[in-house]
Amino acid sequence: MIKILIDEDACVGCELCVDECPTDVFEFNEEKKIPEVVKEKECFGCLSCSEICPADAITHEDIIHSEDYYHDEENIRLASKLAVDVPLPNTPSDSAHKAAALEDLGIRLLSMASIFRQTLGGSLPAVGTMAGRTLATQLPRYRVPQSMQEALDIAVQQFTPAWDLEPEYDGGSKLSIKVKNCFVRELCGEEGIELGGDLCILFYNYLAGYTGKLGNARLKLLESCPGPKECKYEVEVFIRK
Amino acid sequence: MMKTRISTEWLSGCSGCHVAVVDLHEKLLNLLDDVEFVRIPVLMDEKGYPEAEVGLVEGAVRSEHDRKALIRMRETCKTLIAFGTCAVYGGPSGIGWLYEKDSILNKIYKETPTAADDGKFPEGAPELEQSVTPLNEVVDIDFFIPGCPPHPYYIALAVNTLLGASKLPISMKTVCSACNRRMEKREGVKFQRGMSTAPEEDICFLSQGVICLGSVTLDRCQAQCPNKGIACAGCAGPSMDIITEPHLDIRTMIAKRMSMLTGIDRSEIQEYIEKEAKTFYSYAISSPIIYKKPTVEIREWAGN
Repeated sequence: MIKILIDEDACVGCELCVDECPTDVFEFNEEKKIPEVVKEKECFGCLSCSEICPADAITHEDIIHSEDYYHDEENIRLASKLAVDVPLPNTPSDSAHKAAALEDLGIRLLSMASIFRQTLGGSLPAVGTMAGRTLATQLPRYRVPQSMQEALDIAVQQFTPAWDLEPEYDGGSKLSIKVKNCFVRELCGEEGIELGGDLCILFYNYLAGYTGKLGNARLKLLESCPGPKECKYEVEVFIRK
Repeated sequence: MMKTRISTEWLSGCSGCHVAVVDLHEKLLNLLDDVEFVRIPVLMDEKGYPEAEVGLVEGAVRSEHDRKALIRMRETCKTLIAFGTCAVYGGPSGIGWLYEKDSILNKIYKETPTAADDGKFPEGAPELEQSVTPLNEVVDIDFFIPGCPPHPYYIALAVNTLLGASKLPISMKTVCSACNRRMEKREGVKFQRGMSTAPEEDICFLSQGVICLGSVTLDRCQAQCPNKGIACAGCAGPSMDIITEPHLDIRTMIAKRMSMLTGIDRSEIQEYIEKEAKTFYSYAISSPIIYKKPTVEIREWAGN
């Protein structure tokens, strides 16, 4: 069972945890001006109380962290060097864990693509493009690309480690993108799924929408060559004026 | 017994962190029984980089000289400590991250009315780098002591621990945990841009409609400012939550807490912090911890 500990010295008595808890675990003690844990059994470990707590006074014990892939490893390293024994988020360290997670994700992606095909039919490429363009507007823009080449560099960075992209761009209208490693392709090979299916179409359009939005261009697919080792896209680039 | 040798270096900073070492007062004398300062720019004249067990580096990397000096420090010191907020996060000089090098130099030596008529850049000064870099982007750092300057308590703690004293628990909580003010809910509070009225004693600044960064700042100061009536400026850098969780940010957390306490519109607070980003993000502006956050766009907020 999850155990909630409140550091009474640190607590500033703001009652924000009482407001924030979705299952009303806390009750405010008006005399002592601190919150008390009254329904500990109800806690399901969403950690919203420790997130809102201005003094970091709430800690949880026996909590099951889900594997997280979104933490920045550099930041975790810095945090650990601020003090040696800090409880840190559990970042997955071994590659077996990562491989298992990617396989799980691959299966979900494949079934998602087939559902999209069933419900949307011919508009599948358009959905991919839209999604890519939306992603491009929502990512951090601390490096705003000035050219198509820079946009491609950012795309390569963004798609590793799941996809290993190798774009070749001549600076004008000719672009060819090699997809060297693709975790979905490996999965397709194991499961005997034909390459160039719905997910491939969705992925290409996603990539095209993303780089197009970043590089302010429209990409037109000339030829796609799926293969068991690497896939290749021949693309014509129209830079928007 | 051989004394532990400590070497310190002063890069792009204000020397405040070195003065904080002297602020150990009598404790410094106790410390000198066990350690020997082989290089400390503010107290003695030593141009070389002698070998040392512990190295303390103050300030961020701003010029070519800073970079070379830092690399020499790494080569000569066994344990290297980033000492003070500038060294850990870039600090106030990190504001140079917002602008291009040429526009800064032109502004100072050509466009300012009091600049010399010939508009020449000074000769012999170390070449300025394009941006401001926290130390761990350049070399490996073993420990970080943020704070502007670090409180002498934490300096003594760090040095004593490195000398082999038993490890004392070090607070990983925010400034609020050490603050004596009471955070309470209020109604009808007006949002204050800056501080226009005298703050009430014993009541949290956020409850009074004044922005205080205590709840998003690591406690490396024992809440000296808020306890004495000045809102926290965030000088010890972001709290553990903000460092480790990419989706949490200074402005969103302050706006959320303040609006939950006072009912002031969250977007009003957030827009004000964005408009004054150079003030509220000043201590960690050039740190990837802040500028790599998906929703933080300080360059855009600052108008370039």
